[in-house]
Amino acid sequence: MEQINASVVSNEPLTGEYWLLQVDAPSISAALEPGQFVNIRVSGEHGPFLRRPFSVYRVSSDRTRLQVAYKLVGEGCRLMRDTLRPGTTCDLIGPLGTGYDLPAEARTIALVGRGIGIAALPTLADLAASRGITSHAFLSARTRDNIVGTEIFSHHGGMVFLHSDDQPGGVTMVTDHLLAEASKIDFDAIYVCGSNRLIRAADTLARKLNIPAQSAMEQHMACGFGDCHGCVIEVNLDPAGEKKAYREVCHYGPVFNTWEVVNA
Amino acid sequence: MPDLSINIAGIEMKNPLTVGSGTYGHHGNFNQFFPVETMGVLVPKTVRPIEWPGNPPRRVIEVPSGLHSSVGIPSISWEQFEAVDAPRLRDLPVPVIQSVIGRTEVEYAEVVARASALNAFQGLELNLSCPNLKQGGLDFGYDPDAAYKLVKRARQETDLPLVAKLAPDYSSLVSVAQAIEAAGADAVALVNAPRAMCIDIETLKPMIGNGVGALSGPAIKPMAVYMVWTLYRSISLPIFGMGGVANYKDVIEFMAAGAAAVAFGTVSYVDPMALPRALVDLETWLVEKGIDDVKSLIGAAHGSDFQRPAPLKEMKHAV
Ligand SMILES: Cc1cc2nc3c(=O)[nH]c(=O)nc-3n(C[C@H](O)[C@H](O)[C@H](O)COP(=O)(O)OP(=O)(O)OC[C@H]3O[C@@H](n4cnc5c(N)ncnc54)[C@H](O)[C@@H]3O)c2cc1C
Ligand SMILES: Cc1cc2nc3c(=O)[nH]c(=O)nc-3n(C[C@H](O)[C@H](O)[C@H](O)COP(=O)(O)O)c2cc1C
Ligand code: FES
Repeated sequence: MEQINASVVSNEPLTGEYWLLQVDAPSISAALEPGQFVNIRVSGEHGPFLRRPFSVYRVSSDRTRLQVAYKLVGEGCRLMRDTLRPGTTCDLIGPLGTGYDLPAEARTIALVGRGIGIAALPTLADLAASRGITSHAFLSARTRDNIVGTEIFSHHGGMVFLHSDDQPGGVTMVTDHLLAEASKIDFDAIYVCGSNRLIRAADTLARKLNIPAQSAMEQHMACGFGDCHGCVIEVNLDPAGEKKAYREVCHYGPVFNTWEVVNA
Repeated sequence: MPDLSINIAGIEMKNPLTVGSGTYGHHGNFNQFFPVETMGVLVPKTVRPIEWPGNPPRRVIEVPSGLHSSVGIPSISWEQFEAVDAPRLRDLPVPVIQSVIGRTEVEYAEVVARASALNAFQGLELNLSCPNLKQGGLDFGYDPDAAYKLVKRARQETDLPLVAKLAPDYSSLVSVAQAIEAAGADAVALVNAPRAMCIDIETLKPMIGNGVGALSGPAIKPMAVYMVWTLYRSISLPIFGMGGVANYKDVIEFMAAGAAAVAFGTVSYVDPMALPRALVDLETWLVEKGIDDVKSLIGAAHGSDFQRPAPLKEMKHAV
C-alpha cells in the first residue's frame, strides 16, 4: 500500500452513467490483486474532505496502468469527471483491502455482478483467463446501458448472460440463469458483487454444491486502510450465523465469503 | 538547523509533532506511510481492560471540512493487548504514550496499573473525553470532582507521566483542568472531538449508527485553538494541542496558542503524509524566520509579558 500522485492518462465516458479513469500507477498495478481497491482524493481547498474508494476495474497487460470505472453519484465523482484531465495527477492510495481468492485447482467459475458491482469483476476474469480458467458472467443493472464491461468478459470466451430491470424478467433472471447453468456446468467457485439478493442466491447455490463463494462489499469509509475502524459491517463468524462480529470492509474485505455476509 | 526538541514531563521528543489517539496506525502497523520515529511521540489508540466490539455501523459520515463519527473504541482483550500489541509498541524507536480508558474510577486505576507494569510506555494518557461511550470518558471529563478523584487515584498506580485528555466543553473545561492539575497530572491533551449529530431528512432519524457521534477535522480547528489558548492561561501544565490540525501552519497556530506539542488526527485518514510534510515545512519556516528554537513559539500569542499561573497543588473548588 502506498500513496502516489498518478498521472492521468485518460478520463472518458464509459457507458450509461459511468466514466472510465485511467492512470499511470506501475507499483500499485503490479501489486494489485483482483477485488482490491484504491482510495482517490479529489479535493480543492474546501472539500470534499474524504477520499472516495473504487474497485480497480482493469490493469493494463504490462501492469503499469490501472482503470477505475465510476458512476456519477455525487460531488466527489463529479469532481473526478471535471478535474482529472490528461496531464493532471490523481492522488490515490492503493492497493487496499483483501481481494478474491481464486483456488489453484479451479477450472470453471461464475462471476455474478450487478450495477457498479460489476466493476470489481474484470480483474478477476483476467486473472482466471491467465490461468486457463473459464469464467462465465451473469450481469445485471437497472438499464442495459449501465451494464459495464460485457466485452471484457466475452473476450475471454466464457458465456455472458445479461439482464436489465427494464427488460421482461428483470433482475431475478440473472439468478435464474445462474441456477440453470449450474445444473449443466460444474462451477468450482462463485464470485459476486453488487446486491444482497445476489449474495443470498450465490450463497444458497454454493452451499448446495459445496463450493466456495465470495462477495465484495461496500461500506462508507474514512481512511480505507484500517486505521479508523469506521467501515465495519456485521459478519457471521460461523456458517450457521450463530456468532457475529464487526469487521472492517477496508481491511478484512472488501471481499468476504458469502457465508460471512449473507443475512449478517 | 533550528532546535525542534521538546521535553514534556520528562518525555524527550525530538520534535513537537504527534498523533491523536485513535487516528494513526492499527493492526500493529505504525510504519505504513512513513517511519514512526518521524514524530516526537506516538499516542496509539485508547485501550480498555475489557473486550468490546465497538458501536454499530454506520460509523463514519463526511461533513463539510470534517468527519462525523462514532466508532466507540472497539477493543481486543487485555490479554491480547499484552501479548501482541504491547511488545510491538515497546520495540518502536519512538517514545509511546499509551491512551487508556475505564468505565469506573476503579477500572481506570486498574488499567493504569496494568499498562504501567508492561514497561512498554514512556507515559499514559487518561482518556476522560471519549464522546462515544455510554460509561466512562465524559462522565469524568465534564465533572471536576470526578476528574480530581480519578486522576488522584491513577496517580497512585504509576510513576509514569500522566496526561489527561479533555473534551471541548467550555463550561467545565477550566475547572476540570485545574482539578486535574491539582490531582497530580503531568500534562493535558485537548481537544477530543466534540459531540455532534447528523439527521437524515428522509427518515428523520440520526444518520450515525450510535445516534450521537463526534465531529473532527478542520471544521473544529478554531474552537480547539481557543480551548488551548484558554488552558494556557488557566493552568501551568504542558499542553498537547489538537483538533483539525492539517499542516505546519496549524502546528504554529496551536503552539502560539500554548501547545507544547501538536497532534495530527483525522487528517491522517485523508492525507497520511500530512505529519512528515508538516515537519519539513515547519523547519523551513523556522529557518526563514530566523527562529532557532521551536520552544519559543509556545504561548507566543499571549505576548512576551504573559506569565502562566503557578502550579496548582490543591483543588481550587471544593470536592
Ligand atoms: C470498496 C469499494 C469499492 C467501490 N468501487 C466502486 C467502483 O468501482 N465504481 C463506483 O462507481 N463506485 C464504487 N464504490 C462506491 C463509491 O465509493 C461511491 O459511489 C463514491 O464514494 C461516491 O462519492 P460521491 O462524492 O460521488 O457521492 P456522495 O454521495 O456525495 O458521497 C458522500 C459520501 O458518501 C460516501 N459514499 C457514497 N456512496 C458510497 C458507497 N456506495 N460506498 C461507500 N461510500 C459511499 C462517499 O465516499 C462520501 O464519503 C465503491 C465503494 C467501496 C467501499
Ligand atoms: C475515528 C476516530 C477515533 C478516535 N479514537 C480516539 C481514541 O481512541 N482515543 C482518544 O483519546 N481520541 C480518539 N479520537 C479523537 C482524536 O484523537 C482527536 O482528539 C480528535 O479527533 C480531534 O482532532 P482532529 O480534529 O485532528 O481529529 C478519535 C477520533 C476519530 C475521528
Ligand atoms: S475506512 Fe478506516 S478502517 Fe476502514
